[in-house]
Amino acid sequence: MVNKLIKEDTKMFLTGNEVLAYAANAAEAEFMYGYPITPQNEIMHTWCKLLPKTEAGFLQTEDEISAGFSTLGGILAGKRAFTATAGPGNVIMQDAQSMAEMMRIPFVCAVMQRGGPSTATVIYAQQETRLTCYGGNGEGFRIVYSTAGHQDLYDYMIKAFNTAWTYRFPTYVLADGYQGKMREPVMLYDPASRGIKMVPTTTALLGEGKIGIDRKSVHMRNTYNMEEELMEVLDSYQKDYDKMAEEVAEYEEYKAEDAEILIIAHGIVARSARTAVDELREKGIKAGLFRPITIRPLAVKPLRAAVSRAKQILFTESANGQLAQMVLEKLYGLTTPYSTLFKMGVGVTGDDLVEKVESMVKSPAVV
Amino acid sequence: MARTKIVLAGEGGQGVQSIAKILVEAGYEAGKQVLYIPNFGVEQRGGVSIAFCQIADETIGEPRYSKGDIIIMLSDRAIDRCERYVSENSTVVYDTSVCTVKPTCKCKRIIGIDANKIANEKLSARVFNIIILGVLLAATNVLELSDIKNAMEKALGKKFDAKPELRELNYKALEMGMDLVKEKAAL
Repeated sequence: MVNKLIKEDTKMFLTGNEVLAYAANAAEAEFMYGYPITPQNEIMHTWCKLLPKTEAGFLQTEDEISAGFSTLGGILAGKRAFTATAGPGNVIMQDAQSMAEMMRIPFVCAVMQRGGPSTATVIYAQQETRLTCYGGNGEGFRIVYSTAGHQDLYDYMIKAFNTAWTYRFPTYVLADGYQGKMREPVMLYDPASRGIKMVPTTTALLGEGKIGIDRKSVHMRNTYNMEEELMEVLDSYQKDYDKMAEEVAEYEEYKAEDAEILIIAHGIVARSARTAVDELREKGIKAGLFRPITIRPLAVKPLRAAVSRAKQILFTESANGQLAQMVLEKLYGLTTPYSTLFKMGVGVTGDDLVEKVESMVKSPAVV
Repeated sequence: MARTKIVLAGEGGQGVQSIAKILVEAGYEAGKQVLYIPNFGVEQRGGVSIAFCQIADETIGEPRYSKGDIIIMLSDRAIDRCERYVSENSTVVYDTSVCTVKPTCKCKRIIGIDANKIANEKLSARVFNIIILGVLLAATNVLELSDIKNAMEKALGKKFDAKPELRELNYKALEMGMDLVKEKAAL
């Protein structure tokens, strides 16, 4: 067991990366594996600075391939381990993330998106949305929470551990360089004080006594001989995933009930959308926001209901429609026209959205 | 809803991010809502370094904004990069002793200051950024001098204790920066 640092409500003024390290400690994480890449370095810096007090562990590996697999190894050895990465690091960690899907390993990872493709910028983007949800050679058996600020980072990093250890699917906190580097006030708390019970860490492979005598052997497979054998397993995973999806899917609506123009945005862009909705409402334009919090799985029913109520939809992202693509698939059969405001690797401001929605009032979308 | 949006831009190494941190720390301690995003490239030195700071009375929504209320430009490249954040309601401050050109953007008010020259000739090159912090404090007018001094103590207190004359030097730089704006306002 590690020492938990936050025993009572503590208001702090931190960067998002620092918040994540505190949150992992609050979630009783025992070990972090990682490799440096901007803009997420301060997660491990902070984690390491806290080590003398927390008595947790840390290993800096030689790259993200190793960081990903080491995390899996740590979990298999019975530790509550996690990692964090960004950009090209997230790309090369996909092999390990796929293995977590295949072997149902409760892998937890914070992704702080930066500009892409490739090295691009170290600053900010929402261009790892698709990668984080569906990367790897598999079906995307993953849970992805997209956060919109420091309180979210704290709340959802704690939640990510519980989700991963409950459902045994890899679970992500998807944020970005703005959230990682920016400073704003945040309330840190002991999860127990909010009625949150942490799901205990259980051993996967190791255990007391002799295998075959004192306990059963554990066979976790990553390789299958027969096509049908694989499909049988994956079908059962899909069944588990669908059942789980109804329990974990989260969303937030802001003035969406009577919205004529509904903005669909996730993460930090959703926060700009809130600013825009307030300004537009003051101008007499009925705008609203639908923000998927889990972008995988999506909260499909409420999403379809909100879209059905609206006259027009606006998709906005700091990417070229990565969320929109995932959402549109779930809106099959609905005919609400939509427009888009995509800024690849660049922040979307409230002004951007006010201007765009005003233009949609003047000349409505037809697609 | 009162919200002040600041864009502070200079060359890497000019200390832009350091004073942005002091400014937002002061705001936080004063009970304001604050949000700060540092923006820089991959360079350790050089390159344009920008700090986006917001100080508000109510919860802050958008982390980034299209137009700032106060834009401080401390180099030619900072002018190039940051004119896009200037609106007709913005106050623009630039350093005449560093920049070789004058910002040409349309704005409410443009203030030229020679902070770099003052730092070099009257104080120390090391407190150039603290003069700018004074400029910022006077130009935004949302925080008290005591708030900034407390935040400086938090950031630099150990250095001040080791060398008490540094505290005086920094306070002087702060006041000189504030005076620069007041002088311009009086003109």
